[in-house]
Amino acid sequence: MHNCREVKERLIEMVLDGVDCAAELDECVDCRTEFAALNATLRMTRRLSEDTSDDKYWSGYHERLRQKLFMSEESSHAKAQRREEGAKKNRASDLRLLFAPLRLCVRTAVRVPVPLVVLTILAFAALSMFAVRAARRPTTPSQVIVHVPVEVPVVQEKVVTRVVYRERRVSTRKSPDAEIPASLNGFKPTDDVKLVVIKGGTPYEK
Amino acid sequence: MGESDADLIKRAQLRDLDAFCVLAERYARRIHLLASHYCQNPQDAEDLSQEVWLKAYQGLQTFRFDSSFYTWLRRITINTFLNHRRSNFFRRRGHTTVVQLLQIDSDDSGELVGSSSASPENIYNKLLFESVVNALAELTPSQRLAFLLRHYEGMSYEEIANAMNCSTGTVKKGVWRTIVKLRARLSPAAETPEPLTDLASEY
Repeated sequence: MHNCREVKERLIEMVLDGVDCAAELDECVDCRTEFAALNATLRMTRRLSEDTSDDKYWSGYHERLRQKLFMSEESSHAKAQRREEGAKKNRASDLRLLFAPLRLCVRTAVRVPVPLVVLTILAFAALSMFAVRAARRPTTPSQVIVHVPVEVPVVQEKVVTRVVYRERRVSTRKSPDAEIPASLNGFKPTDDVKLVVIKGGTPYEK
Repeated sequence: MGESDADLIKRAQLRDLDAFCVLAERYARRIHLLASHYCQNPQDAEDLSQEVWLKAYQGLQTFRFDSSFYTWLRRITINTFLNHRRSNFFRRRGHTTVVQLLQIDSDDSGELVGSSSASPENIYNKLLFESVVNALAELTPSQRLAFLLRHYEGMSYEEIANAMNCSTGTVKKGVWRTIVKLRARLSPAAETPEPLTDLASEY
């Protein structure tokens, strides 16, 4: 079914892209007329895509363009030159600023005899040379502390305790002289006997 | 056979003005055609097209041979046109007349008689040009530029949208409106309101 609105919406595309739409346009006279009108319009405007200006105009155009390009080149050169000069001036002013304190010193200095100045300078030079040499001398490497574990023999202490038990005799009330053997005369037994053997220790050790 | 574009570009990149002028002579007419359709004044068109060349010369160091020279130049043209759209570059609007066009072609109006520029075909073309430019003047600069790029440069809608930094729909709309406007201006029955004009306003 032919729809004029739809076709007219697509007419521009048809004209611009050169789409074959003969079948669609055959169905409607209005659409065909519209298409032909648009086609003619674009064909007419396409005629204007060919330049009609004569060679005289174009030779003048190129001459004017060349002049413009030349002037822009000149102005860019001039700009670059001005920038360079500005940079030079800046450098000079920087140097002036750098030496300004020195100049101030020279202007405000007290007058000193020349030999004295020379001697001072020589002394200063000698001192600075010494300082430089001293600075260049090789320095001893700093002491390094190394921790080495050393095995120390430990005195071993052995304590042997021996307990000796002695049977206590219950003495009967007899005559004290009759029963006591001759070998134990004067011996007073203690309750226990403690034997301490100390090996390798000092006599003052506990 | 002249020097190739690539050789000329290489020479121009080394600040050889003559080489650049040869390049300009090759493409100046195409750029000037776009400018003359875009501006309503021939002097503005010349200034605009020459500004394109100045920009191209200044930016030629950035040309890396990734695309053709004309594609690169066209990009500069579009940007220059769009920048001037935002500025007060154009001196007069809608003042193009056949008389002015003839004066550009010939320094002395006395020479018009019998000259080739005064031939009926030339005068017809100039009248036609005037009608087209006046019709284009009624459109926005973006619509005008979209039409010129589509119609004269054969760029696709996507390419135009990309170059003009807008949507494809906007480009289509611009081209549509321009063609409808031109059709209304140039058709013999221009006085009668066109059904397409109504359709374009809805589009």
